[in-house]
Amino acid sequence: MTPLSRSNMFLGLACLVFALLVAGIWVPLDTETGLIEKVRRRSMIGDALAPTVAAFFIGIGGVLLLLFERKEADQPRIDLTNLAFVGVQIGVLTIGFLIMLYAGPIAVALIDSGTEYRLLRDTAPWKFIGYFLGGIFIISGLIWQAEGRLTARSLLIAICVVISLIVIYDVPFEDLLLPPNGDV
Amino acid sequence: MTVLDYIWMGMLAVFQGPEVFSILGMPISITLVMIFSGFLLGIMVGATPGMAGPVAMAISLPILISVFGYHPDALLPVVGFLIGIMKGATVGGAVPAILFNTPGTPDAYMTTLDGYPMAQRGKAKKALRVAHLSSASGDTFSDIVLFVCAPFLAILVESYLDLPEKTALLILSLSFIAAVIGGSPAKGLISTGLGLLAVYIGTGEDFYPRMSMGTQELARGFPIATSVLGVLIIGAVFKGLDELWHERRSKGAIAPVHDVGDQRLHWADIRRLSPYIARSALVGTMIGALPGVGSTLAATLGYSFGKAQHEKRKTSDQTAFGDGAMEGIASTEAANSSVSGANLIPVLSLGIPGNAAAVFLILAMESIGGFNPGPSVFKFSADQVNTELVIAFGLFTAMVVANLMNWTIGGLFMRSMGIMIKIPKQILLPSVLLLTLTAIYVQETRIEAIWFALGFGVLGYFMRILAISPLPFVIAFILGGRLEDTARQAYSATGNDPFFLFTNPIAAIFMALALGVVLYSARQTKGAK
Repeated sequence: MTPLSRSNMFLGLACLVFALLVAGIWVPLDTETGLIEKVRRRSMIGDALAPTVAAFFIGIGGVLLLLFERKEADQPRIDLTNLAFVGVQIGVLTIGFLIMLYAGPIAVALIDSGTEYRLLRDTAPWKFIGYFLGGIFIISGLIWQAEGRLTARSLLIAICVVISLIVIYDVPFEDLLLPPNGDV
Repeated sequence: MTVLDYIWMGMLAVFQGPEVFSILGMPISITLVMIFSGFLLGIMVGATPGMAGPVAMAISLPILISVFGYHPDALLPVVGFLIGIMKGATVGGAVPAILFNTPGTPDAYMTTLDGYPMAQRGKAKKALRVAHLSSASGDTFSDIVLFVCAPFLAILVESYLDLPEKTALLILSLSFIAAVIGGSPAKGLISTGLGLLAVYIGTGEDFYPRMSMGTQELARGFPIATSVLGVLIIGAVFKGLDELWHERRSKGAIAPVHDVGDQRLHWADIRRLSPYIARSALVGTMIGALPGVGSTLAATLGYSFGKAQHEKRKTSDQTAFGDGAMEGIASTEAANSSVSGANLIPVLSLGIPGNAAAVFLILAMESIGGFNPGPSVFKFSADQVNTELVIAFGLFTAMVVANLMNWTIGGLFMRSMGIMIKIPKQILLPSVLLLTLTAIYVQETRIEAIWFALGFGVLGYFMRILAISPLPFVIAFILGGRLEDTARQAYSATGNDPFFLFTNPIAAIFMALALGVVLYSARQTKGAK
């Protein structure tokens, strides 16, 4: 028999602690004006009030969870596989975007060392190199994770999807910049 | 300028915009073309499991803005396109629900209960015709209510609600959304609180952007596209991929369906379905008009009411709900489609989005500018033209045009969309993810936006794992800034009264209702266990 999940209790406690930390430490230490401020004898609402109200919502949610839904029968459960799964996804996406950021400048440095990538960021094919390679890595990586294997078919699909996105977002529009060309 | 003048100008704005081409000498405006394109795209994405109207809206928005620019003339074509998607997706969602027992959109889930058994009996086309008739009828009723009620409600709001009451109304809306969406008011409040917290980071009136931890990245705040698309779309993609990963080995083949016998919808069928369609259209419209209560609840309620009625009246030879009753499909589809028109009532009259599709309509209006949803839109000024009111009636006209498309070509196009189910999710979801991240980047043109969106995506994923609805988060993020501004103004206007929410009778009633709805829902949740 699967043991009863107590995720609601842990979530309630976590929210309560988080709300107290936000209202008691983060807001007072990282906001210049208090809940109510007096400026030239005029009283006004300070910047601290709104985030404190937000923390209040989170805290009340946590308390209600502890009071009313702590012993609920069908509570959701988080296990290590969820964390591992999202970890791998974020890993694939991070590497993919790092490829997007650096593949273009590296290619320019290798092939045409006299020119900066920044000057070529609106020139084909240079402007597509990062997006093309990074995009293929992301799509084929995620298909690999879902299917459990990497096939030539998934690589081909990734290439087709990335080319389609370039055609949709970049080719018809002069003012739209694909990643990473807005940052270089 | 009379009311009729405004309505006429709104209609002209749709039909007499810039001409794209002409048919038999009749000019076809860009807005009409955009509504048509959005409607077809909406049916396609609705018919594709794993995609939904909001995904298509999110992806299209930066492209549309890039094409049409940031000026008021862009509003009708862009929002018309999004309205087309919204309406088309609702109709299209029934296709995979009936043919393959896989709802294309969450609110089409109840359609599977009777649609799929009908398809299994060889009545797939008839089931699709019932879905289309019910959907288009519910949508029509809802649009009529929108036309009549939105201006009336807005005028009422402007006449009776001052700044303290408006602040209390925003708090009531947030509490209501937290209490009713997702089935757990406690988790709804947590979601709302997180949305508010996210929008307040890096903003404020002081020179130092609050809660930015001294970093330049946080000092600019979280762009709305990163948080909304991150939590709603990227979180859903992560969850979808997670489910695929877990269910990889248990996937079975889809059995082919062959049509048998008469597939037409006869007058006798329509007469039999009419009471169910009418009841569900009313339920869906009422639900849609409430901020934050979406089409899934409307579909569930419409189905439950229809089922209760059917059990009372059905004869022994009629099929029961759940076994392939046409009335079951009609009750669900009329209810979920009638939400789309009515949920523009809180959007246009109060600026409060009712569901994810409405969030993108507000996002488009805010991005383009020149139209601020709220009571001021419906000021019927006689001496000078209120352009926002003209645009509002233009949007109503766009709703009606999309509805007419639904009646005329919607059914035919819908019945040809069964092929969309064949796109494998393991290919579709990564493609949607890269598409969404690309859409965010082209809007923000900085890599931090991608990291923020991925962060919000992880948050959205864990919210789904923990059964916390992401919609209160998104609506709180959108309303948070307005809530703070209104509260600041109300505080000043009441002579720095710290209890302004409780000293004014209407505001006090709203606050009591806000508290009451949360406590009542919490007790109901406990009682139901």
